[in-house]
Amino acid sequence: MSEALRFETVEKSFALGEGTVHALRGVSLTFAAGEFAAIVGRSGSGKSTLLNLAAGIDTPDTGEVWVAGQALSALSDDELTVLRRDRIGMVYQFFHLLPTLSVCENVALPSLLAGVREREALQRADTLLDEVGLADRREARPHTLSGGEMQRAALARALLHDPALVLADEPTGNLDSRSAEHMVALLASLGPRHGATVLMVTHSREAAQAADRIVELGDGRLMADSRNGVR
Amino acid sequence: MTLQRWFVLRRLVRERGRTLLTVAGVALGVAVFVAIRLASQSALGSFRDTVDAVAGRAQLQVVSRTDGFVESHYARIRATPGVVAAAPIVQVSALARTMMRPAATRSVESSTATEFGETVLVLGLDPLVEAPFLRLGSASDASSGPRFAETLRLIAEPGAVAITRTFAERHALDVDDTLHVLASGLPTPLAVAAILESEELQQAMGGNIVLADIATVQHVFDRQGRLDRVDLILEPGARDQVIASLESWLPADAEAMLPQGRSRQVENLVAAFSLNLTALSFIAIFVSMFLVFNAVALSVVRQRRDIGILRAIGLTRGQTLGLFLAEGAWVGAIGGVLGLVLGVLLARGTLAFVGRTLTDLYLIQHANEVRLDPWTLGGGLLLGVVTALLSALAPAWEAASTRPGATMRQGMWVEAKGVPVGRLAGIGSLVLLASFVMALLTVSANAPWGGFVAAFLCIVGFALFAPAMTRVIPPILAPLAARLGGIASQLGVRALREVVARASVVVAAMMVAVAMLVALTLMVGSFRQTVDTWITQTLRGDLYIEPVGHRASLGATALPDSLVEGARRLPGVVAVDTYRAAAITLRDRPAFAIGIDFEVQAAHGRLRYVGGEDHGAVMRAALVRGDVVITESLAHKFRLKRGDRLTLPAPSGAETVTIAGVFYDYSTDAGAVLMDRSLFARLWQDPRTESLALYLESDADLGSVRRAFLHLAGPSRLLHVTPNHALRERVLEVFDQTFQITWALQAIAVIVAALGVVSTLTALVLQRAREIGVLRSVGATRGQIVQMVLTESGLLGLVGSLLGSLAGLSLALVLVHVINKQFFGWSIRFELDPWVFMHAAALMVATSLLAGLIPARLAAGRVAADAVRVE
Repeated sequence: MSEALRFETVEKSFALGEGTVHALRGVSLTFAAGEFAAIVGRSGSGKSTLLNLAAGIDTPDTGEVWVAGQALSALSDDELTVLRRDRIGMVYQFFHLLPTLSVCENVALPSLLAGVREREALQRADTLLDEVGLADRREARPHTLSGGEMQRAALARALLHDPALVLADEPTGNLDSRSAEHMVALLASLGPRHGATVLMVTHSREAAQAADRIVELGDGRLMADSRNGVR
Repeated sequence: MTLQRWFVLRRLVRERGRTLLTVAGVALGVAVFVAIRLASQSALGSFRDTVDAVAGRAQLQVVSRTDGFVESHYARIRATPGVVAAAPIVQVSALARTMMRPAATRSVESSTATEFGETVLVLGLDPLVEAPFLRLGSASDASSGPRFAETLRLIAEPGAVAITRTFAERHALDVDDTLHVLASGLPTPLAVAAILESEELQQAMGGNIVLADIATVQHVFDRQGRLDRVDLILEPGARDQVIASLESWLPADAEAMLPQGRSRQVENLVAAFSLNLTALSFIAIFVSMFLVFNAVALSVVRQRRDIGILRAIGLTRGQTLGLFLAEGAWVGAIGGVLGLVLGVLLARGTLAFVGRTLTDLYLIQHANEVRLDPWTLGGGLLLGVVTALLSALAPAWEAASTRPGATMRQGMWVEAKGVPVGRLAGIGSLVLLASFVMALLTVSANAPWGGFVAAFLCIVGFALFAPAMTRVIPPILAPLAARLGGIASQLGVRALREVVARASVVVAAMMVAVAMLVALTLMVGSFRQTVDTWITQTLRGDLYIEPVGHRASLGATALPDSLVEGARRLPGVVAVDTYRAAAITLRDRPAFAIGIDFEVQAAHGRLRYVGGEDHGAVMRAALVRGDVVITESLAHKFRLKRGDRLTLPAPSGAETVTIAGVFYDYSTDAGAVLMDRSLFARLWQDPRTESLALYLESDADLGSVRRAFLHLAGPSRLLHVTPNHALRERVLEVFDQTFQITWALQAIAVIVAALGVVSTLTALVLQRAREIGVLRSVGATRGQIVQMVLTESGLLGLVGSLLGSLAGLSLALVLVHVINKQFFGWSIRFELDPWVFMHAAALMVATSLLAGLIPARLAAGRVAADAVRVE
């Protein structure tokens, strides 16, 4: 199976007041195409930083991140933006839907940013909304949706352009257990259907169990890496 | 476009209150610019049209450089090889009676104001040679001009004239009616022999054109033997040859020029006035730039989280920049369009102001019709869009350059990144230093444009101090605020400190408005004081006499010698000064040559000289040597000084004279050469007198002498006989009229700054909804919330006023010592009136408090629970 994402001895630290927080310390990981992996660990273990580095939102202090065979450090800001737009889908804990747009418009946004005509983008968004079970809420504003619905809309947006990589940062963190279960099931089923590798950062053991692979981080280091729930 | 619709237009509509305020600011700025430009261009365009219409089909003109040339030149001009047709012209402006009353009274002022209310351009021409010039109508269209019989009547009947259809209809005149015009103060009847239909003439001066046979005009206006110009039609390709041929023999007081030449000279004359007015018209749009800057910066701050999301899902930096620039462009475009409409509406009132000044100061007659020049309208729209785009550039760039990770991490309630207060103040100091250096260079190099650069740098330099002042002043005032207004005011002061970035932009906008207010008030006040002192010192006569209509007719006015001699013999009169002026052209710029009685001036007058020379001594020496004295503005314009030689284009031939002194004069920036009447009479071959100044014995009764003079003048001649104090008041009245428009422009700039206060404070209140909700939930009353917000708005006004006062003082110095001096050549004594600062501060704080009422009421109206829920 081909490689979708690779971290090569990645280090990242942040300035916090007078001191420095080491979010990642020499992490090396490789994810295959079509894989559904869960990243687990306590707060501050470096899970979200790993995701942001994969998305090119942040840059590592040392080391390298490769997405679909492309070293991110070699890309300009605009090239990173295009990579995110065309090859990566993001799902956040707080949904990050734009309050001023309807659900359908939120989902269609990445296509519009890529220069697709409005009508086509909205049609594609409708298909995705249908897949996540939100066809009847296409005109609704985000604030009228439940948490589960908002997160499904965010997933639809992430899958819009059939990305190589879906990065989900605590996608169940703000959901009740039933919605969380539904969300993880969608990630597990829709990811492979759209040909995407899914990386899900989560605190939830139950959610992690649904993944093919579980990577555990602690204090910025790789603590464990297991498949099918077997260490 | 979809992105713009979703993220820009929807937001503008959603936040329509704030949009409206910003758009209104831009609209006012554009409106002021458009109104001023339309008014200036309409006045000058009207003058240009008049020149074109009276030039007819002329391809070249031989024009007088001064008060007409002898008509014997006509035959030689006509005989020049290459000339196909030549038409002699005498041209005089005169007041026409537009109201019919049973009997004219001799009560002068009321008589002129009511009866002789319109200036007409009387054109004397030779109907027999007019056909190729088409002024009397088109050859192919017989209906456009007088019929043959009417033309014959113009020639054959003394006092017969043709008037335009527009003028005839306006004053209910028809063929065979009588039109009265003033000639040297005498109401003179002219018989209407024909009505002119030519469209060009209906447009020129609003149709106030009167055509007559040349002999009629020469007779009525005492211009016998003189021509103002000869119009020429040439053989194809013969122009250069004809010009060369004419220049080989034409005397000093005549020159060959293209018909557009006169318009160009007048445009040169009023260039400084027009330019300064245009510069002033930029104040409001400049203030509105801060408004747009703040609006877009606020959008960036409020949408920081959204920008992060968009950047994360694929919005490029360029697209981010484009989105916020588009917001500026939309605001600029909508404001620009509204500004055009408002500007056109304002232009009519503005034309009245601008036109009156052009007539009062530069003697330019024009029609009061606004012309909608497409270039001005296009320029106004472009100005709105470009200034809005420039204003949006910095916040848009900041939005585009922030990394998506940073915006995502900071959450929703973030403030823009900290303002580099110290660095901005440092740059401000450097800019102020550059402004000072530029001012010095401008003065030493005599380069007018540098004054504007220095003024601009001065404003920008002080604006860069706005963040520092916004950070420093509130803590200093905090104890006072706490003592006077308790906890509510204290919270207001603290709140301002937390939002230095945005508050300082409003402070900068207010600073600009206050600076201009202070600078203009100081400049105009100093100028007025200087003019007042100048009049008091130099106008020493007790009674000033001029025929009614003198200002319109100028050189075509003459008082009888018997009247002048009679005035000298009146009981109580010590001395009589005579005045005769002729317009001259020096190096393609209009100026005046003036003949007065140097002997009387030496004994009774008191001109003040730039070199501090004694007036009596200068006058007596000049009288003996045949020297002249010149005004400061003329000296400045042509870089002349005492002792230099100057060549005058006199009818007797070019005459080189020595400058005996340069004196202060503020009557017009055109400049004047003053000489003894005997020298003037010799050079201009004209011993006549236009107006008089009577010097009385100290115990003489002014009223008795005035009555005696009017008796001497007889009942038929209309005269202004003005006592010294009334003339002084009239001069100051004209002065005040000239600057009225300045105050109107200033008021609009203050309004735009106030819109900035409303817009910014409203946004801050909305953004602090949670904080205000918490305050309400822990017991703050509505009154306390109002007080808190008003403390913020009042402080914005106060800090803006403090900074603006400093900037205004510096700007006033630039206006007085650099811009005025370089453009008009006037020395103004700088007067520092402390009340100017008090008034400006009081006005600005009151305006800010008033503007703060809207956001204060909005804040007080928030329900605690709703506000706390907002996240």
